[in-house]
Amino acid sequence: MLRVASVVLSAWMLRRSLAPLLPPVPSEAASPATLDAALARWTESAGLESLHVVLDSAPDARGLAWLASLRRAGATVTWSAPAIPATAIAVEPVNEPGGGERLLVAAPSGSVVEVRDGAGLLDTLRIVAAGGSVATTALEAPAAARVASQWARTAPRDSLIVRRVLVVGRAGWEAKFAIAALEERGWLVDARLRVAPTVEVTQGAPVAALDTARYAAVVALDSSVGPLAGRIARYVRDGGGVVLAGSAARVPALAAIAAGAPGARVRAASVSLAGTEPRRALGYYPIASLRREAVLLERSDGRTAAAARREGAGRVVQVGYDESWRWRMLGGPSGPADHRAWWSALVGSAAYRAATPLAARSPGAAPLAELVDALGAESAAPAPAAPVTTSRGVPGWMLALLFLCLFAEWTSRRTRGAA
Amino acid sequence: MSEFVFATAQYESGDWDSAPLVPPNIIDSVARYTGIEVAPTGAIVPLSSSDLFRYPLVYATGHLPVRFTAAERANLRTFTERGGMLFVDDHNHDIDGAFHKTASEEIRAAVGPLVQLPNSHALYRAFFRFPDGPPATSHELNGWGDNLVHAHLQAVMHGDRVAVLYSNKDYSSEWGYHPDNKRFLSVDNTRFAVNIVVYALTR
Repeated sequence: MLRVASVVLSAWMLRRSLAPLLPPVPSEAASPATLDAALARWTESAGLESLHVVLDSAPDARGLAWLASLRRAGATVTWSAPAIPATAIAVEPVNEPGGGERLLVAAPSGSVVEVRDGAGLLDTLRIVAAGGSVATTALEAPAAARVASQWARTAPRDSLIVRRVLVVGRAGWEAKFAIAALEERGWLVDARLRVAPTVEVTQGAPVAALDTARYAAVVALDSSVGPLAGRIARYVRDGGGVVLAGSAARVPALAAIAAGAPGARVRAASVSLAGTEPRRALGYYPIASLRREAVLLERSDGRTAAAARREGAGRVVQVGYDESWRWRMLGGPSGPADHRAWWSALVGSAAYRAATPLAARSPGAAPLAELVDALGAESAAPAPAAPVTTSRGVPGWMLALLFLCLFAEWTSRRTRGAA
Repeated sequence: MSEFVFATAQYESGDWDSAPLVPPNIIDSVARYTGIEVAPTGAIVPLSSSDLFRYPLVYATGHLPVRFTAAERANLRTFTERGGMLFVDDHNHDIDGAFHKTASEEIRAAVGPLVQLPNSHALYRAFFRFPDGPPATSHELNGWGDNLVHAHLQAVMHGDRVAVLYSNKDYSSEWGYHPDNKRFLSVDNTRFAVNIVVYALTR
């Protein structure tokens, strides 16, 4: 009996000594100013097995890499950040000859974002939905956005090579002023304008090869593009961009790539080209039967006036307007400039993007997302740990009990014969 | 898509309506030789009116001295800045005449100075080819007016675009006949008018 008790006691003590000790999880608040020192302290502390960091802003790339290293070294690193806003910034080169960059900022709805570049403050945005944008003509890298105390920083990753534009259609005021608008915004324009059934007025080199090595986009102004339609459709599928204006999408080969079918032409809803909605004073072909994947760009009095979709590797932008020249000639003081900007933006949004890489992706553009990427999702802070009262050592009374059991068992053996 | 309307400028001074047969003759030629949708009748538009901007190509002629009003001058300036083109023909065919002196001065004040248009300009190959520049008129060859055959037209340029095309050749007399009478000509002398219209519609 005593021998059995000794063996059981020994086994229990052995199990207890081998059982993992569950130490309290150290939890520590850290700010950018204190994180470096804390990281050094945690790294040097012997036996660090788990750590919870309470952050008031996202660590920089160095801090993130350090925390990730602790994690890879075996420590359980968790984090929580009650006040870091989900902020991100990206720089996108504007695909127009005038160049410039568009800074796209994502931030929580209702927040105020300060957008800066290396030269100073660019703009301040109040976020209504999930983000906003700022256009700049000459960005001094890096670009940065600040929400409360959280900064997001990035730099342009590529620049664009803007190629020529081919304008095809009938000779007329729409063709003349569309070409003028594009050229005045810096686009190099080739044109093939039909004057008679077998006569075309051409500008620029003959259209020998319609490909993205020469053309950034094609503008098809009307249904006279028929003979070129098949080549335009192939060009788009190979990565080119096309703007289908007016009735151009009625040509069968272009209907196959259009965002929708042009309906019957509707008259202008307004007579004032100088008002705040000048395009309401233009007649247009409403886009009916919009394809499921098409993106609606503009509605006018309940009808679709502009839409876009992808076709193969390229893009199709479809607009119903066929007399935009009236906007330039009859619009208000800003009419010509607005008409130019509208045409340039249309072509730029469809155009093939021939990009030259400038830099690799820079860290810090989306701090919260990068934090999640490095350390996993945020977890709740652990409850404050109780003082440590246990140790891996075996209590003395247990050893005494074991000694007593063994001594009693030895004594019983020695006294068994005497009895 | 709107059709092309040939418009004649009406200005307050002088005799703006001295060549009423020119517009229908040019409209006939545009319809005859091209596929451009053209309105069968022309329009008359006051130079001081906002309606001027509905017609990006406007024709003006006359014999008498020209004095633009301030409104006409301002409108013409904006018109050409926005891309409109004014074609002016001296109905006198006389570089010492009242129309030429006053019209060229008014154009200079409103739009800019007239310069010689080279005979290699795109205007001369916009539809028909005129390798020697502007075609001579019968009035020039007959020695009327200033007794000169003008080898060049003049223009006010905005960049590489013609904003004002100015002629001393008296095309207003040359093209001032009923279109049906073209059948009596071995070569249609209004072909150059087609070039002017096509150039205006494409450049």
